Amino acid sequence: MRAALRGRDPTLRPPATTPPASGRLQLSIVLTGLAFLFPIGYLLSGTLTLGGDFWGALVSARTLRPLANSLLIAAATAAACAVLGTVLAWIAIRTDLPGRGLWRVVLPLPLVIPSFVGATAVLSAFGSGGLIEFVPRLEGFWGAFAVLSLLSYPYVYLPVAARLSSTSASMEEASRLLGSRPFRTVFRIILPQTRDAITAGTLLVFLYSLSDFGAVSLMRFDTITRAIFSARLFDRATALILGLILAVLALLVAAVVRALPRGTKTQSAETKPIQYPLGAATIPTMGLVVAVLTLALVTPVAVFMFWTLRGSTTVGVGFSGIGDGLGFLIEPLLNSLLAATVAAAAAILVVLPVAYASAKRRSRLSETVSTIVSSVFAIPGLVVALAVVFWAIQAPDPLAGVYQTFPLLIFAYILHFGAQSMGASHAAIAAIPSRLDEAARVLGAYPRRRFLTIDLPLVLPGLVAGGGLVLLSTLKELPATLLLAPTGFGTLATRIWGAAEDGFFAEVGVTSLVLVVLSGVLTWLLILRRGQAV
Amino acid sequence: MLSGVAALLVIALLTASCAGDNDTITVYSGRTENLIGPLLDGFADTTGVDVEVRYGQSADLALLISQEGERSPADVFISQSPGAVGFLAGEGMLRPLGDQVLSLVDPGFRNNDGLWVGMSGRVRVIVYNSELIDPEDLPESVFDLTDERFRGQVAVAPANGSFQDFVTAMREVHGEEVTLEWLQGLVENDAQTYANNTSIVQAVGRGDVPLGLVNHYYNYRAKAEDPEVPSENYFFPDTDIGSLLIVTALGVIETTDNPGLADRFAEFMLGEEAQRFFSEQTFEYPLATGVEPSSELPPLSSIDVATYDFDRLGGGLERTKELIDESGLEGS
Repeated sequence: MRAALRGRDPTLRPPATTPPASGRLQLSIVLTGLAFLFPIGYLLSGTLTLGGDFWGALVSARTLRPLANSLLIAAATAAACAVLGTVLAWIAIRTDLPGRGLWRVVLPLPLVIPSFVGATAVLSAFGSGGLIEFVPRLEGFWGAFAVLSLLSYPYVYLPVAARLSSTSASMEEASRLLGSRPFRTVFRIILPQTRDAITAGTLLVFLYSLSDFGAVSLMRFDTITRAIFSARLFDRATALILGLILAVLALLVAAVVRALPRGTKTQSAETKPIQYPLGAATIPTMGLVVAVLTLALVTPVAVFMFWTLRGSTTVGVGFSGIGDGLGFLIEPLLNSLLAATVAAAAAILVVLPVAYASAKRRSRLSETVSTIVSSVFAIPGLVVALAVVFWAIQAPDPLAGVYQTFPLLIFAYILHFGAQSMGASHAAIAAIPSRLDEAARVLGAYPRRRFLTIDLPLVLPGLVAGGGLVLLSTLKELPATLLLAPTGFGTLATRIWGAAEDGFFAEVGVTSLVLVVLSGVLTWLLILRRGQAV
Repeated sequence: MLSGVAALLVIALLTASCAGDNDTITVYSGRTENLIGPLLDGFADTTGVDVEVRYGQSADLALLISQEGERSPADVFISQSPGAVGFLAGEGMLRPLGDQVLSLVDPGFRNNDGLWVGMSGRVRVIVYNSELIDPEDLPESVFDLTDERFRGQVAVAPANGSFQDFVTAMREVHGEEVTLEWLQGLVENDAQTYANNTSIVQAVGRGDVPLGLVNHYYNYRAKAEDPEVPSENYFFPDTDIGSLLIVTALGVIETTDNPGLADRFAEFMLGEEAQRFFSEQTFEYPLATGVEPSSELPPLSSIDVATYDFDRLGGGLERTKELIDESGLEGS
């Protein structure tokens, strides 16, 4: 029994011969893989053309120190988010904490706050000269760690929450019937079931932290992204080489994670998941949730409100306070809405074949492509954007008309954020027990029909969770939007950036508030209601 | 609910695809919307031309134009400081402006070959916290910042365009050795590095660091948002390189298919309406001959600004980056 629960029982493993992926599936994976190779292709091509010295740059002290810092912040943030995201998902989905409905809407929201805005808000909020002076202001590594962890835990929270809301209760019930205390049940049953989701989310946090520039630069923690940013115009060879180093690093990490053993599968999820009563632990648990939300969401929002209410005294230039109309935000808001929803839907669809193949038709091809897809998430957004520009400009004439059009922008978003959808989709698909699949096949259903009627309803929460990550990431995305969007297509995020760049904080405040509210509404409408994570 | 969202999406798509039949000019602007948007609207209203603008960081946009090459849709490029536009000039991506445009500014405020003109001026200053340091203790020269008495007290933003341009000017005027020494001196003196000018001004205002090297107009912004903030500008005396005037520049892209319109745009930016906007709304120095700066600013002549002829940089901006790298200022 124990062996079965730990997933070592051969009857619970996939059959020794995994059926090969169909020709069509393989083709779509290959095409996806080629598309996701654009950024590395750009980096390689640029390095070869500009004749940079790859090895020399790699071992130079000027590279090694920021590189070590990048790895440090990525590892620390990933570890923190793995714990925080999982614990919060558990609390929100599987306990009887009061206000669960509200927490489920609000807990993913910190992801929408652009890291540079979050960092600016934290710097303004605490410490001497800040709003709340007795709380010490963090800077350097600890500041960056705090900001990135608090804003990134949803990368783990969303897939794990989706997983927890769709795992069946039967194994847990069995465990409790057999006398296991709750803790044991958690470690022996539940964690193995959610392990894939936790791993997927943690990998995302790691890769994201590698690529982040906003928080680390404002917190004055010197990472490789700072080196790329500072060299990008006058020392392009170095910037490209550093980008290449990041990309290779990301490939290695993603490949290693892919090779880790998978978690256990589960039975059908038709029984509603068990909700564990908290009892005496209700107050401390509530305290934890409130504390996290206070730091991650309430603090930035409070600072935004402070800036908005404080206003500014210049007239005729920028938003100057409550008296001014908000009409200038309507077009950016609609643009943000459009871009984010289309990107999320498109990302789910584009990476679905890769996720499916990697989960159900595992082969060297599927693993290679999924590693490539993951790695692009660690490449700084500016580099991804420039890569897309590079390839679009080079394209032969009819294709080149796509440059600076909306579809190309969506393509860039998919490249940059596809990994988020893939991770969550993969975890969800991998959890479908193969016997259902086999039963359907034996009964004669075609693969696509099998997928639509059997697999899809089971994986929907996971797919939607991944889409939710792409949605929130796109809402705050900056470099690709600035460089690739049709000229004149401004989003809330670009508006926030422009205002923050030159110190128009009243405008930063009100626009950020609108962004958070929009994200909350979209999260509730599209993610929570669709994903049935209720 | 979903149909509501779908309706919104349709509306957004429609508004995004509405295009007029007028002439269009495409501007890539390193000046953000708040600092130039009203002028672009003014130009559109005056001439009936559709202005399509892409905002971004000057360096990113210059990189973009360079990568777009012949296929660049941009007509005009506006840069926050001369470095980015100088880069494009070096790449051969700019076309000379018409004489009627060039004659609007002093020869010292434009490229010798007429490839770009300065639109507005920003002076490099020290922003200091008046509660932490007495104005009398401020240095007479930017070279004094490496003195022991300023250990750990000076904020700089080495990745920022204006700082890099300032170092380039120092390099050309005082030579590489002196410049490298100064940069290394800053490192040894524990200078604090920040991400950009706004962060420095915020940090000085909060009291995190007593002084910082920025452009003059940031503090006016800070005071507009919070009149109580104790940060003040200090202009270097005499013709010290510290009091450098940096221009925001405008250039016409080689691949433009409407150079006449681009020139008209440049003329408008150097016309009275625009120059008055710079002077009164964004607290910068107007550069077109005949327009006076706002009375709130110290007049240019009294500052004895070392107006540097950025023209002589040519392709030498890479060397500045090398020097900054060599000094180790960025990793500090």
